Amino acid sequence: MMVTGVKLTLLLLVTTTLISFFVGTVLAVMRVSSVKALRILGTLYVEICRNIPGLFWLLFFYFVFPELLPSEWGKALNTYEHYPVVAGILGLTVDNSSYVSDILRSGKLAIPDSQKEAAITLGLKPVQQWLYVMLPQMYRAVLPPLGTRMIHNFKNTSLCMAITATELTWATQQIESLTFRGIEATTIATVFYIIVSALMVAVVLGLEKYLKIDMTSITKSKA
Amino acid sequence: MYFIEQFSNWKFYLVGAYPAGSMGGLLLNIVLAAIALSLSFFFAIILGCGRLSPKKYIRYPFGWFIDIVRSTPLLMIVFWFYFFLPYLLGEHVTVFGSAAFALVVYGASYQAEIVRAGILAVPRGQMEAALTVGLSKYQAMRYIIMPQAFKIMLPSFISFFVSLFKDTSIAYIIGVIELTQSGVIVSQRQPDRIYAAYLCVALGFWTVSYSISRFATSLEKRLGTIDLWRFSLVPGKR
Repeated sequence: MMVTGVKLTLLLLVTTTLISFFVGTVLAVMRVSSVKALRILGTLYVEICRNIPGLFWLLFFYFVFPELLPSEWGKALNTYEHYPVVAGILGLTVDNSSYVSDILRSGKLAIPDSQKEAAITLGLKPVQQWLYVMLPQMYRAVLPPLGTRMIHNFKNTSLCMAITATELTWATQQIESLTFRGIEATTIATVFYIIVSALMVAVVLGLEKYLKIDMTSITKSKA
Repeated sequence: MYFIEQFSNWKFYLVGAYPAGSMGGLLLNIVLAAIALSLSFFFAIILGCGRLSPKKYIRYPFGWFIDIVRSTPLLMIVFWFYFFLPYLLGEHVTVFGSAAFALVVYGASYQAEIVRAGILAVPRGQMEAALTVGLSKYQAMRYIIMPQAFKIMLPSFISFFVSLFKDTSIAYIIGVIELTQSGVIVSQRQPDRIYAAYLCVALGFWTVSYSISRFATSLEKRLGTIDLWRFSLVPGKR
């Protein structure tokens, strides 16, 4: 039971990290784009999602979302055995991507406008400007807060037990109710969470070191 | 008419059965967050200062404690308190009590890092100058460093408060009848009101968090000019 729990927790971690990274990037680009409609849409999404708890989004996707769909689809979702996991991924992504986009947006503000102007001068298309010039620098600038957010998201996967996704925290509660060995199970789960968080911190620190550029050389060449 | 009827139990979302029965709904979230914030603030200052202590035997245990709590999910902390507080205290603890306990511990170790960052952000010269003037280390900390560090910390504190307020929804999982729980209860007893119930939950959380974060942004804008010595711990001195 613990092993399936660990597996599902890691699955949730990987999928939500990747999806919310992607969605968050798109939202961040929307929020700083020159098209007003996109900007408003992105800001609206972030302002709504950021101020509502992640637990609400999980419950929303688990209980309400199937009701919103046409009845056959909703029925199909409700009877689908892995629907808790899908709802968990959706809910965590909605919660996390708004934070990611906010962090990335602050990264955009840290990059001088001349970078974008230089990219335009080189004749790059808007997509190329973002992909090759702006985004890589944005990611590098916001790596520490982004890492913290992803670790927070990893810890939030434990909330999926509220919608009966069989992840690690759910497994500990099952063990508690079946065998009354809650202390052992909770200890193991806590140690697991601490180890994975520590690993993620190590990865972020490693990436930071790997991606670091010598800023002094750049400022010197500018002068 | 039908639409209005859907929201006829708005009072349940807002305060639960409060004047007649137990408190609940959004009010309980706010109370929980206020308790957690005010208690954890004091522990946070102790933890944060302890982590900066020059003595290794103080610094390391505090550091371990903060790191362990910070890398454990809040839900796990809630369960630890929910199951093991009764063992420790030897008596029954209400779900509200264990949720509040867990939020205090969680909030304290998160805010300890804010406190630490704030203290480290004060230029070293301030401490040196204070010691030169003849203040004791405690006096220097209290009258010179802390007021300045507090100014630096304030925005982070407020954004943490938003996050803590949203995290009170976790009490739903152990059965505290707060706003999320009220919504779920209504939607299960009256399935035709499911949209209204979830809308109310979302609206309740959104209104409070949004107004706090708006306040934070306006404060951040003003912080450049505001004279924070007015809020300092030294009465009458400027």
